[in-house]
Amino acid sequence: MKEDIERIVALYPPERRFALAAMQDMQRQFNYIPAEGLDALSAAMGIPIAQLYSMATFYRALSLKPKGRHIIKICDGTACHISGSEVLAAALHDAIGIRPGEVTEDGAFSLETVNCLGSCAVAPVMLIDDTHFGGVTPDRLAAIIEEVGAK
Amino acid sequence: MRSITITINGIECACRAGDFVKEVALAHGIAIPSLCHHSALPGQACCRLCIVEAGKPGKGKSVVTSCVFPAEAGLEVETDTEKIRRLRTNILELLLDRAPLGGGALAGFASEYGVTDPYTPEHPDEKCILCGLCVKACEKLGNSAISTMMRGIEKKVGTARDLPAEDCIGCAACAKVCPTGKIACTEAGGVRTIWEQEFALLPCPVCGKPHITGREYDWLKARFGADGDAGGTPFDAFDPRICPECRRRTSSAHAGTLPASP
Amino acid sequence: MSTHTIRVCCGTGCIANGSRGVAAALREAAARAGAPAVSVETQVKATGCHGFCAKGPVVAVDPDGISYYQVKESDAEEIVASLGGAPVERLLFRREDGTFARGEADNPFYEGQVKIALRNVGKIDPLSLGDYRARGGYEALEKALAMAPEDIIAEVEKSGLRGRGGAGFPTGTKWRSCAACEETQRYVVCNGDEGDPGAFMDGYIMEGDPHSVIEGLAICALAVGAEEGFFYIRDEYLVALDHMARALADAEAAGILGDSVLGSGRRLRFEIVRGGGAFVCGESTALMASIEGRVGEPRAKYIRSVQKGLWDKPTVLNNVETLATVPVILKEGYEAVQELGVGRSRGTKTFAMVGKVKNGGLVEVPMGTTIRQLVFGNGGGIAGGRPFKSIQTGGPSGGCLPESLLDLPVDYESLDANGTMVGSGGMIVMDDRNCMVDVAKYYVGFLAQESCGKCTPCREGLRHMHAILTGICEGKGTEADIERLEELGFTLKEASLCALGKTAANPVLSTLRYFKEEYLSHIQDGFCPAGVCRALVVFGIDAEKCKACGLCAGSCPASCISGEGKQPYEIDAARCTACGNCRKACHFEAIHPEKRMAV
Repeated sequence: MKEDIERIVALYPPERRFALAAMQDMQRQFNYIPAEGLDALSAAMGIPIAQLYSMATFYRALSLKPKGRHIIKICDGTACHISGSEVLAAALHDAIGIRPGEVTEDGAFSLETVNCLGSCAVAPVMLIDDTHFGGVTPDRLAAIIEEVGAK
Repeated sequence: MRSITITINGIECACRAGDFVKEVALAHGIAIPSLCHHSALPGQACCRLCIVEAGKPGKGKSVVTSCVFPAEAGLEVETDTEKIRRLRTNILELLLDRAPLGGGALAGFASEYGVTDPYTPEHPDEKCILCGLCVKACEKLGNSAISTMMRGIEKKVGTARDLPAEDCIGCAACAKVCPTGKIACTEAGGVRTIWEQEFALLPCPVCGKPHITGREYDWLKARFGADGDAGGTPFDAFDPRICPECRRRTSSAHAGTLPASP
Repeated sequence: MSTHTIRVCCGTGCIANGSRGVAAALREAAARAGAPAVSVETQVKATGCHGFCAKGPVVAVDPDGISYYQVKESDAEEIVASLGGAPVERLLFRREDGTFARGEADNPFYEGQVKIALRNVGKIDPLSLGDYRARGGYEALEKALAMAPEDIIAEVEKSGLRGRGGAGFPTGTKWRSCAACEETQRYVVCNGDEGDPGAFMDGYIMEGDPHSVIEGLAICALAVGAEEGFFYIRDEYLVALDHMARALADAEAAGILGDSVLGSGRRLRFEIVRGGGAFVCGESTALMASIEGRVGEPRAKYIRSVQKGLWDKPTVLNNVETLATVPVILKEGYEAVQELGVGRSRGTKTFAMVGKVKNGGLVEVPMGTTIRQLVFGNGGGIAGGRPFKSIQTGGPSGGCLPESLLDLPVDYESLDANGTMVGSGGMIVMDDRNCMVDVAKYYVGFLAQESCGKCTPCREGLRHMHAILTGICEGKGTEADIERLEELGFTLKEASLCALGKTAANPVLSTLRYFKEEYLSHIQDGFCPAGVCRALVVFGIDAEKCKACGLCAGSCPASCISGEGKQPYEIDAARCTACGNCRKACHFEAIHPEKRMAV
């Protein structure tokens, strides 16, 4: 982890404006932002650590807690909301036992709701890692989860 | 800056173009309520109590935030209209509900506007109104050891990881600007306790009374250096360990030799 | 030998329906058919969005002008085999009267659409600079390089173009103010942080035609005298980010950007900043704070960002769709935009029309087109033939309009006057199974999460509004709550710091204005007529209408529907969770909401 952090921090000039990008890189690398990452960034860029935590807790793309190996995002944009995204979230809870914001015990999945994935015409939409699923119905869920979980 | 005249509540007020309306008003004896403003810090426009109605003659008025609204020639300002009072009442209700123990200035304005909390507070013990002054003070006078965390309805002020901050120098600037007494700062037996940390205080070299934390002294010294500030004033000539009372007594000897503010 | 190009829509909507697999299958099928015996040379292109997302994946065949919908991988062989002959009828769009539309030209979804911002989207391979240039791309930039900045600005002003991101500020005026600043270090910014849930036109333009946005920003930079620019793009838009990054690299490699723009000696350097995931960063000052590497909190805009923006330097910020329109103004003249539209709203606007509309997707129409034309003309009416109830425009800053306003022209002024706004162009169509109180609660909940929390009215006001609306949806509301909502709405509107807070009450105020009855049903009768608010509703089966098909029972997660043989089915109200699955499953309108009785 230490090497990855150093590599990411070294990608950017020591200027405040690159802090968000470096944090996003860490998020992608580790599925969360480790405390060591923010310490390293603070030292390299000369940004007070409190301000980095302020950013890390402000921006939704960043998370201080580890996420699952597969990240399920249920879109709760308006079109998805009125097409039953809540029912989908409930069905996912039945299927894998977690609610938005939680991680399964085996660390395989974490579940989040997001505001809009931009695929509104095929609502309700779900994103697992980088794969979009449109027009998801509760009965299709099981098959999708099984397929992804097997990977 | 050009000298101009604006009108506040019908009174002609001379000021410079770009001066903020709230301060122009104050200079002319017109107080505008606010909870997030400190004259030594930049305006934040976040508590929204200092709203006024302002506009150019014949153009109609709109609601603006006087702490950051720049004066320009001919501006007409009304600080106490029915609309403004209604809005301030609503804002005070919201603040009272957020921080039932906010006390101090908040309680004062609430009684001035005849406001009580119409809601049921979620946190009956809360004092913080999220005015942001502590964060600004820490940034400008201290070492940026605190900041706002989270956002929206979950926003709060805190240290990184909510742990005692290494960056904190115990200067207590945050506690001094806090309008509600949320930030606890106590001193006993030569030790200051703030943000869940204890800081040993150094004695004033003149009277011996504890005054500045050791960590703040070291931090100032590291910042301004033993060589003194850019003006050539030696650091020790302005000894920050001297307490305010002793400094007042000896101030004539040091007049004009204060180091530049950080 | 005839040449055919098969364009496969690979917009985010069609990708979700499996279009990448379809493109791959078509490529394979074309390669197999490419034997000398077949006199067809086929090129399969993955393009941006064709607009008609509801019927994706969409596949078009040039030069025949054929469009296929809901294409599957297994259709690839047949499509390739049909090239040059009769189209595959079963994949064509079927019109209301049962006849087939051959392509876009005779498909009512495209009727009245004028594509300016979307002119290339769906037509070209977005990753091909050659495709873009073949359609006149970067000619406007070349033209701009030969023009005085003043003349570029004048052209944009004459076009009447206004910001397409929400506020509708005149673009030319913004550029002029920036160009007039004394400070010469200036910046240009493209706002691609499309955060409105239900709006995706900016994302699809960046995906489908990235060079048009780059060209727009380049022209803007020349006009205002900036050398550096930023694209602030939503982190969730994976495809848009990828395409913009590749297009930028290609433009630099081709000498279109860089130290000498098209050999002119002018310097332009653009970079991409990934958004952090905060709706408030759609607000210009918050967005700039984010680019600077700080939390995205807005500041008061009494000193405007065209004077003091990024790092306190003069900065012009424009939205994606605005910038994608700019090259057309320069290349074809201001009239191209100015001659379309109504009143002070000129040109076209792209709308993301989704929700309960039958044919949803991206539509670009002249300003002033009526809502009725959009929903019932282009959109083909409400899915499943249900009644229209409301259309929400402008995202969380906008409002909900009722059926009586279907003939309202869509332009900045008309929408504003009726309690909503054009905003970024989201349009959510709702039917009788959508509860307007729930919709108001949804938006307020969204905004409460997305508020930056800096100013009191927005942070605290939204919290209370959400609590009150939740109470109403749970049957705990009182009539005093309505007054309280109105008073909070007034406070947010008048006293918030930024546009997010100032407009945050619109979803509540507009639903109170047009759908107050529905609030009163919740409050006085303890019932949600739309059957959405689960605390107030159970579902019941109308024995007259029930055909005993059993679909409802199969869809019920609580297993509380029972029935046998030809007898009407029954729902055990005590165990019904009011999820609504059965109502969706029923083909006979036999299932309806009833008041949930207190236990």
